[in-house]
Amino acid sequence: MQRQRSLLALILVLVIAALVFSFKYPAPLGLDLRGGSQLTIQVKPTAQIPQITDRELEGVKKVVEGRINSLGVSEPIIQTVGVDKILVQLPGVNDPEQAERVLGGTAQLEFRLQKPNTETPLLAFQSSRFELKAKQEELKKSQDQAAINKNLEDLKNNNQAIAELFESTKPPLDGQYLTDAYGEPTQQGNNWNVAIRFNQKGGELFAELTKNLAGTGRSIGIFLDNELISAPVVGVEFANTGITGGSAVITGRFTAQQANDLGVQLRGGALPVPVEIAEIRTVGATLGQDSIKSSIYAGIGGLILVLIFMVVYYRLPGLIADVALIIYAILTWASFCLLNVTLTLPGIAGFILSIGMAVDANVLIFERTREELMAGKSLYRSVESGFYRAFSSILDGNVTTVIACAALFYLGAGLVKGFALTLGLGVAVSMFSAITCSRSLMFVAISIPALRKPELFCPNLPGSGSSNQAEVAK
Amino acid sequence: MKLSINKSRSLWWTISCAITLAGIISMVISWQNPEIRAPLRPSLDFVGGTRLQFERDCSKPGNCDRPIDINVVREVAKDQGLGDSSIQIVADKETRQENGILIRTKNLDRDQRTKLQSALSEKVGTFDEQKNQIDTVGPTLGRELFTSGVIALIVSFAGIVIYLTFRFQLDYAVFAIVALFHDVLITTGIFSIFGLVFGTEVDSLFIVSLLTITGFSVNDTVVIYDRIRETLKINPNQPITEIVDDAVNQTLGRSINTTLTTMLPLFAIFFFGGETLKNFALALIIGFAAGAYSSIFIASTLLTLWRERTGKSTVVETAGVTDTSLE
Repeated sequence: MQRQRSLLALILVLVIAALVFSFKYPAPLGLDLRGGSQLTIQVKPTAQIPQITDRELEGVKKVVEGRINSLGVSEPIIQTVGVDKILVQLPGVNDPEQAERVLGGTAQLEFRLQKPNTETPLLAFQSSRFELKAKQEELKKSQDQAAINKNLEDLKNNNQAIAELFESTKPPLDGQYLTDAYGEPTQQGNNWNVAIRFNQKGGELFAELTKNLAGTGRSIGIFLDNELISAPVVGVEFANTGITGGSAVITGRFTAQQANDLGVQLRGGALPVPVEIAEIRTVGATLGQDSIKSSIYAGIGGLILVLIFMVVYYRLPGLIADVALIIYAILTWASFCLLNVTLTLPGIAGFILSIGMAVDANVLIFERTREELMAGKSLYRSVESGFYRAFSSILDGNVTTVIACAALFYLGAGLVKGFALTLGLGVAVSMFSAITCSRSLMFVAISIPALRKPELFCPNLPGSGSSNQAEVAK
Repeated sequence: MKLSINKSRSLWWTISCAITLAGIISMVISWQNPEIRAPLRPSLDFVGGTRLQFERDCSKPGNCDRPIDINVVREVAKDQGLGDSSIQIVADKETRQENGILIRTKNLDRDQRTKLQSALSEKVGTFDEQKNQIDTVGPTLGRELFTSGVIALIVSFAGIVIYLTFRFQLDYAVFAIVALFHDVLITTGIFSIFGLVFGTEVDSLFIVSLLTITGFSVNDTVVIYDRIRETLKINPNQPITEIVDDAVNQTLGRSINTTLTTMLPLFAIFFFGGETLKNFALALIIGFAAGAYSSIFIASTLLTLWRERTGKSTVVETAGVTDTSLE
């Protein structure tokens, strides 16, 4: 009995910890519950790039990130999905029109020439841009939409002003001439550089461009979607020929991270792959709230009916099962918070269904206990063998459910995944709560003499179900 | 009271066959239907297209005074070359008044969409931006979703067969899968009928529901199998018909109670839950009912028949030992 009591104490501690944790770190709500837009972007292969690889997808993702950040949406989620898709989630955005406008189309990368006598304004603009960007990060935390929009407007003007300081070469040296770009460590090994490679025609244009700029203090403006991402200057030693051979290194005090980022950005910008918006889903914020509320109320209502049913039908064990069920719900919810599972509507459905599974385990155990009681065994023995004998059914049933969940999780996408995850987690937790918790509670209960009455476990013990008794007695 | 399920097993089989057949016939009719051209009425998720839902902003004075005339909406759509779209007037949740418009068309790009929206709002009233719902799905994405769903279903079936063969025996596993097919077929069949009669569409959640049904129904079957295995171990010489009958009867209380407790939250979601989950809950209710039925009446009686025919009623195996000598 000592063991059961210490187990109960452990469960109590767990439940309290779970409650504290789930209030402190609530699980994030999915887009269908918060309201917002979700866009799926498909990267299309072209004649030049017949196969989209991770490297390309990563590049395009970087471009997409840049474009989304220019919208000033708070907490956007941008992730790659599968082999050729990028998922963009914009919470709180009801009209995806703006996002659609910036997202479609191929990235525009261009190497431009700084106009003469613009060194001072460029420096001024660059430093004010730095301040604006820092302010933007600050503002994002404050949720002050008006201030964010104002700042975005300033940034846009700043971009525009910078862009006006540069001019295109003839013909423009754009992304189609760039063959590769990547970060690499410097010879000394302390810093990182970004290496760029052009094809032949690009190499010639680049030599021309650098020849004009070498030693003047003016810089090459590298623009992605019309925003300056880097402005390297060319050393005086190239004044005669320019940088020839179609390859160059951008030096600067880059960290490995910065160098890689710039490399990926350049590669993404150079990709001639068009991106297409394959799917748009929007849910109005109030609509999301309507459905979450009514579904949650309905689910809770149904569960209360289940709790009542258990007590009426199974008496004392039913009450114990109810306690175990509440513990189950708390622990499972906490595990969602712990694993940072994004809650979607199907996810909540999976959770409610897993509660049904948890009840099933207890139903199996108590039916078994009743049978044993009817067969004339003592209360203690009946309870003991109820748990013991129902175990293999519970295990087999749950394992098969988990198999279905695993198939869904690995092969399904989006909604399906969330459902599989919550149901699978729920089934795992229920193995603990329905067996360990209710078992400990049960044994503590029958250690109290007042509760040790068979009629609390099974109504009308002798008489009814005599055929059953005969079966089991065989 | 004791239920001798094996006595009237041809009756159980007839009931199942009748429902399944009705479903299959409906799927064929639905396939022939030029409007659907698929066994079930597919939603946007599978065929692609644009679905727009607008709701009038009734907090503005005078905006909702006149009811929305569906003919006006049709007219607007026709002007934009969208005459063949399906248009519905829908009620909003709070006031239960018909202030919403639901339009399903071919894939619209941003410009076409905004044009339609502003044209509509001119004719019927200002819309509440917060309640707009815009979904656009490309056709290839839908196909991918469908194939990944079907593959997930097949893989989970295979996983279940392997696990049950390992824990029980091959014939148990095979009949459990027969019962699963039965449940999935009945659910899809009934939804096909709904599609023909009420225009119910199946979306990606429908595939989720089929997978859930699989998990739950096999759970039901396993509980009965577990009982059969246990009794066989104790009384290897009892006739298989009796063993199966007893196993079903001993687990009947549990089967009914579990189905009931699982159904309660589902019915609650179906009647009072959000719009998005209604059909999902309905599919699960049908599937779980079919699952409980097939576990009690189909999987067990088929196992009896098979064991009678092969005379293998006395095979006793302990859990975890696979049966290699079935022949």
